[in-house]
Amino acid sequence: MDSIKQAFDLLFSLDKELFRILGVTLRMSFFSTSISCFLGLPLGALIGTRQFRGKSFLKKLIHTWMGLPPVVAGLLVYMLFTHYGPFGRLNLLFTVTAMVIAQCVLITPLVTGLTASFVETASRPIIETARGLGLSDARIVLLCLSEGRASLLSVVLNAFGRSIAEVGAVSIVGGNIQWKTRVMTTAIMLETNKGKFSFALALGIVLLILAFIVNAAASWMVKERSDG
Amino acid sequence: MVELRSVKKIYKERTVLDVPQLCIRDGESVALAGANGSGKTTLLRILARVLRADCGTVTAPDDVLYLPQHPYAFRGTVLDNVLIGAKEEREKARQLLEELELSALADKRAQSLSGGELQKLALCRVLIRPCALLLLDEPTAALDTRGTELVRDALARYKTQTNCTLVFSTHAPQLAAKADRLILLRDGRIDAHGGTPAGTQERP
Repeated sequence: MDSIKQAFDLLFSLDKELFRILGVTLRMSFFSTSISCFLGLPLGALIGTRQFRGKSFLKKLIHTWMGLPPVVAGLLVYMLFTHYGPFGRLNLLFTVTAMVIAQCVLITPLVTGLTASFVETASRPIIETARGLGLSDARIVLLCLSEGRASLLSVVLNAFGRSIAEVGAVSIVGGNIQWKTRVMTTAIMLETNKGKFSFALALGIVLLILAFIVNAAASWMVKERSDG
Repeated sequence: MVELRSVKKIYKERTVLDVPQLCIRDGESVALAGANGSGKTTLLRILARVLRADCGTVTAPDDVLYLPQHPYAFRGTVLDNVLIGAKEEREKARQLLEELELSALADKRAQSLSGGELQKLALCRVLIRPCALLLLDEPTAALDTRGTELVRDALARYKTQTNCTLVFSTHAPQLAAKADRLILLRDGRIDAHGGTPAGTQERP
């Protein structure tokens, strides 16, 4: 109960550092979810609608990548952007951009795999009807995404959930730098390491409230568009 | 010309279609009859290129339209649905809806239609565009007698206008009787085929 009270006290105290952490968390999650969905939704829909040689192998590959441990994704991106790495010259390590890239490596396969599975099963009547009308592959992909938007919302929210709750990759490439790359999860980890369990739990509750608000807003928007 | 040679489709070690040879002339109308599971839908889906045959060769025009047995109602109104992929044909869409007695539902949400209304809408969606080969999978399965007559007349008009090759599966005798030829399928094989009484007099 103390932690819940502390969580609301934190929110209403307008603590500058907390709001900075919230801002970085939201910015990182927004961009990594958007980029992953921009790439993964059409790619997944294309895999789901098309029949081609090697499809089964490609799906296995994507499903394997979906289980990639975040620290491994973080390590891969770290090696790419470290001073001696191939993209070291870009000086992106320990920035929010690097955190977004690491999260995209993690989340894009998740969005692609879930979308492909959804399109393959739930969209079969859509695909068959659209193919029967002689529509192009691009049009069929767009129709599948548009018709299944309510179901695909869960894919997007899943991606957002993974992004906002992720700690392994962002701590490796972000470095948990105060005022710069510290996000809710890395802040919770830091407070736990300092032994401030109650404060860490309060931060966790703030994170849950944030996730709930985003989920509710997204569901409301899709419902509005469906009803409209 | 539509031609199938040594076409087979096997599902889980069960041969659902086995057609050594089948030719359908340009402009011909063919009715496929047979019990449930006899291979009518599989044959139509292979011709529509929705399904691949496991072996054999299939020759069919590129310009194919296919109406599945369970068509999908896309989001939007009935009119929006008819205009999918044919946005310029608004006038023709209204005319087709009129012919199939769906005009009153033009602005209604397509996903709220009954099974029979959806089947008529799906037919409008297909008939709005011309094609060389029209494939229909039980186009009157959910329709009453009046609906079946409307579909039969709409198909006859479309056939006259486009001179397309028409292949349809049906359990409705009044529709099958209007075809040039009736093919009876049994357990995935062609059991018999021949002209229908009406095939020599008038086309659907």
